[in-house]
Amino acid sequence: MESASIAAAPAHEHHGPPEAHASSRIDRQTLGILLFIVSEAMLFGAFFASYFFIREVANPGAWPPEGFELPKLVAGVNTAILVSSSFTVHWALEGARRGNRNAMKMGLAMTWLLGATFLFVQINEYVHIGFSARDGAFGSIFYGLTGLHGAHVFVGLLLLSFANIRAWRGHFGPAAKDHLGVEVPGIYWHFVDVMWIIVFTTVYIL
Amino acid sequence: MKDMSRATFLKLAGVAAVMTLVISIVMVNIDWLGPDASTEKGPIITLLNVTIVLSALVFSIVLTMMVYAIWKYRAKPGDESDGAPIHGNTRLEIIWTAIPLVIVVGLGVYSTIVLNDIEAEAANQMEVDVTAQQFEWRFDYPDQGVASNELHVPVGTQLELHLNALDVVHSFWVPEWGIKRDLVPGSDLPGGDEIDNVVRVTPDVEGQYSVVCTELCGWGHATMRAAAVVESQDDFDAWAADQTKIPEGNSSTGAAGGNGAGVFDDQVSK
Amino acid sequence: MVATLKAPGQPRAILGLILGAAFGFGLVVALRAISGLEIFQTEQTGYPQVIVPAITGPIGYLIGIGCFDYWFRWAAGAPTIPEDHSQHGAHSWKDYFKFNTDHKVIGIQYVVTTFTFFLIGGLLAMLMRAELAQPGGQIVDAGLFNGLFSTHAAIMIFLFVVPVFAGLANYVLPLMIGAPDMAFPRLNALSFWMLPMGGILFLLSFLMPGGAFDAGWTGYAPLSTGAPLGQSFFNLGVQFAGASSVATALNFLVTIVTMRAPGMSFWRMPLLVWANLSTSLLVVGATPFIAGAQFMVLLDRAVGTNFFQAAAGGDVISYQHIFWFYSHPAVYIMMLPGFGIVSEVISTHARKTIFGYRLMALALLGIVVLSFAVWAHHMFVSGMFAWLRVPMMMTTLLIAVPTGIKIFSWLGTLFDSKLHMENTSMLFSLGFLVTFVIGGISGVMLGMIPLDIHTSDTYFVVAHIHFVLFGGSVFTIFAGLYHWFPKMTGRMYDERLGRIHFWGTMVGTWGTFIPMHWIGMEGMPRRVADYAAQFGDWNLVISISSFILGAAQLVFLYNAIVSWRYGPKAGSNPWRAKTIEWQVSSPPPVFNFDEIPRVVGGPYEFGVPGARHAIMHGEEGAEVTGPKPAVVGAAGGGGGGSK
Ligand code: HEA
Ligand code: HEA
Ligand code: CUA
Ligand SMILES: [Cu+2]
Repeated sequence: MESASIAAAPAHEHHGPPEAHASSRIDRQTLGILLFIVSEAMLFGAFFASYFFIREVANPGAWPPEGFELPKLVAGVNTAILVSSSFTVHWALEGARRGNRNAMKMGLAMTWLLGATFLFVQINEYVHIGFSARDGAFGSIFYGLTGLHGAHVFVGLLLLSFANIRAWRGHFGPAAKDHLGVEVPGIYWHFVDVMWIIVFTTVYIL
Repeated sequence: MKDMSRATFLKLAGVAAVMTLVISIVMVNIDWLGPDASTEKGPIITLLNVTIVLSALVFSIVLTMMVYAIWKYRAKPGDESDGAPIHGNTRLEIIWTAIPLVIVVGLGVYSTIVLNDIEAEAANQMEVDVTAQQFEWRFDYPDQGVASNELHVPVGTQLELHLNALDVVHSFWVPEWGIKRDLVPGSDLPGGDEIDNVVRVTPDVEGQYSVVCTELCGWGHATMRAAAVVESQDDFDAWAADQTKIPEGNSSTGAAGGNGAGVFDDQVSK
Repeated sequence: MVATLKAPGQPRAILGLILGAAFGFGLVVALRAISGLEIFQTEQTGYPQVIVPAITGPIGYLIGIGCFDYWFRWAAGAPTIPEDHSQHGAHSWKDYFKFNTDHKVIGIQYVVTTFTFFLIGGLLAMLMRAELAQPGGQIVDAGLFNGLFSTHAAIMIFLFVVPVFAGLANYVLPLMIGAPDMAFPRLNALSFWMLPMGGILFLLSFLMPGGAFDAGWTGYAPLSTGAPLGQSFFNLGVQFAGASSVATALNFLVTIVTMRAPGMSFWRMPLLVWANLSTSLLVVGATPFIAGAQFMVLLDRAVGTNFFQAAAGGDVISYQHIFWFYSHPAVYIMMLPGFGIVSEVISTHARKTIFGYRLMALALLGIVVLSFAVWAHHMFVSGMFAWLRVPMMMTTLLIAVPTGIKIFSWLGTLFDSKLHMENTSMLFSLGFLVTFVIGGISGVMLGMIPLDIHTSDTYFVVAHIHFVLFGGSVFTIFAGLYHWFPKMTGRMYDERLGRIHFWGTMVGTWGTFIPMHWIGMEGMPRRVADYAAQFGDWNLVISISSFILGAAQLVFLYNAIVSWRYGPKAGSNPWRAKTIEWQVSSPPPVFNFDEIPRVVGGPYEFGVPGARHAIMHGEEGAEVTGPKPAVVGAAGGGGGGSK
């Protein structure tokens, strides 16, 4: 990164780029993550489209097709776990806002643990569910939707790990621009959470 | 366009009109869509001609405006001055929003009419089950109880083609008939109900045509053809009489690898 | 040695590539060994030992080139290297092969890379035309031919038209809105480096057992789900190209919303900015769908899922719905930025304000909205829900209205103007107007169900494709390249060669693609290596014209390279344009501006006495077009170009 060549360049006597004019109240990171979430939602949209065609068009009969049983209860509990993690992450953000570092650290840590638990339960469910992604279109789309969501939980956990590490290393402060590192993963986490509620209702309940 | 006098405007309109006329007359008199050998193709050709005239109009307007502007407003060498500061003209903008709107809505409505027209069901029909498999065609005649991989049909009878594919998507097209529809694998399965796999066409000119596969289906796509023969009712009956019977419990419409495939294979081989 | 391998750059990137691939390969072997499967699975749809390295390898390369260095340190909470601007500006051609966060460098990286792919895609087209010059087999067999047009299309779309627009906008858009750079410079660099990964995967597929992917760029299931290994490379390549364009779109949107210069309200943005705003909305909304579609195909292939397997309860036609829900908007992703370019070029070289500026912007948004509701016009004969056809036809035809508004407004702009035809960019814009209208009209014909029933999947469609994509997109791309060539390279190109290039391209395009309408309607299907003898003569004409077309591109190649090195120095504002990018030196200073300019009026106030778009740093009241003080390499304004 720090190639010395630049120092020689005449341009570099220059102090550096001017501060960009802020032409909107919303800050870049927040808008960025929101737009990213839009595109993520569309990715789920593609799989929901497939779900619709497989269920409503290609298999008008019984749903789930006989021979398939979904562990509604386990998934329900799991849902509760994930939903609660949305509150803890909010708690963490509030902590950051009010400069209460312990609340922030605890909130982040708990969110991470809850998320990890969710993922663990999910994988455990896969192991015991008794059918694979190769078993008919039902298996495919079930694993397709829940798996896609699982992948997003994983990414969310990754982001949260960063936030955790940085929190423990003493980063983040009350000023709005100082805790974006908590806020942005938080927004993403809420999205993962809401998306799960939609996936859960469509795949398990409806 | 402010300074444009009424006279110049009329001149331009005249040029555009003449151009439209010339283009239309020339283009309408060429039979773009090739020979017309089915009652369905006629309306399509008429629709095309109407579209050609309207398109000629649109294109002529665009071309006239552009050529005129280039000829009239071209800057003299060394002229560094700017054009007139005209930011727009609401009336014009409304006009060139409204006119295309009218044209396309008109075309849409007309197309819908033609569509219903060419998909209308005739009183007496003959069912033919068309099955495609890389890279072969098979035609079953349930009424006659025979199968073949040539499509023979009596002239003037509306065919009710039931389409199905055994492996990948293919497409049924006889250019002279102007009708095209994909053959989708699984059309015959319970899940296939939603697939719109029945297409009607009424060949009305006797002759030799060929069924062309128009959906990419693999290396043999370019050569996936079958003879289509339109003949008199008597000839057809005679032909049907000495075709191989559909083997027991073997309708061509089976899932991939299903019993339909068997007949296919030995027909391919022979 | 070790030092070079530690520092980000090509050596480390290659190392990362090797390590990444090795890791993926090892992973597959290990997992399969553990689970007691035979180590190397060589079913043509499988080959995990090839596919997984094809994912991890490129990622290793991206890490090696330095895309993630900053984020890794950031994530670990380690002190991030203070921005020393070492990643701004390029001081030798070598810097273009490094990870660089300067939007101007990235813009050039984009343009050069994508243009290389244009040449490759074009060469593939030339091979196709050689094969099709006569009926019967010439130089390639049917299987390879299918591979040729599939790769041709995939490269032209995903590696040329879509990204080259991103590249041009990358260079000029931040300047136009008075921003020092894009909103997320590192993401911007990552977007660029993901792009060649996709292209290389596409090309590698030629080396795979079973040859290149050959199910068309549309890759319809179940043909694609059963196809040889090459198809998986298409599925993966699309992921990289797609991720790249989504990231760029986010970047543009955030940049446009949050970084406009003071005074630049939405209604003062140049139309190129409006165009990229609209395009980015399309990308963010639609591109995930092709990602999804190709994921599912890959899963059906490699994992054995049944998304599109009718026999197992999958839905064959759903692939087409999901694919076209992206790929129709995609065609406007490939056209709207061109509309933006044409607006800039026409107003500048006609010395006149855009006619009906606001309606022009609204028309763009209208197209965005409509194009999410027309996808099934690609499926009129697919056997999809019959009831969906007529509504989709109506929405499809309606798109002619906003597009027409744009065409007529450009024509309106030409009236009472001072047309400068001597500029090649203007020639290409006017050439675009006529050519695109033909393509649009053939589109409207295809949009009318009864006509589509006859012409679908014939050469009529191929003719439409190229009239809109070549006569439309590519013409506008050339218009843009000529228009901003002086800004990007600081040198003037040769207008004479430019004119030769234009007329060669114009003649070549019409000669190649007009006859395709005729043979298509007569009954020649598309995607065939061989055809009925009756089409022989026209195909020969087409092939010859296409070689002229190809040769014309070589003229451009020569002109661009030679002018870039030896062309006469360009002033900061050779076209005497009003938008901000022309108010800084050519090429612009490393940080674009010393101070963010103030926007005080519309972007195209030609002929309005005293009106001005922006006031630059340290030139209060000064003439808008003039040499800028205190910027690197600033040359005098005016003159230079239009000889
Ligand atoms: C840049 C890319 C681009 C653009 C801009 C367009 C623009 C349009 N396209 Fe095209 N299209 C493609 C790229 C593009 N297309 C590609 C790549 C395919 C093939 C995919 C494949 O199968 O491989 C395709 C295929 C395709 C089909 C499917 C054909 C088939 O496979 O059966 C259809 C059908 O409706 C269609 C319609 C249209 C329409 C109505 C427009 C409209 O937007 C055009 C609007 C413009 C005008 C109409 C001209 C200007 C307007 C005026 C001057 C006003 C007055 C005009 C009238 C009143 C008519 N296109
Ligand atoms: C932006 C997109 C784009 C562009 C620019 C082009 C450019 C060209 N295309 Fe392409 N084409 C598509 C997009 C595009 N195409 C798509 C989407 C399809 C559908 C694929 C499918 O069915 O799945 C298609 C399909 C397609 C077909 C139909 C294949 C088939 O259905 O059987 C043909 C056939 O002639 C063709 C020809 C050409 C030609 C001659 C050019 C020329 O304009 C190319 C000119 C450029 C060059 C030649 C490169 C520069 C010159 C050199 C590198 C030097 C070498 C020159 C010589 C040897 C003279 N294209
Ligand atoms: Cu069967 Cu093409
Ligand atoms: Cu389309």
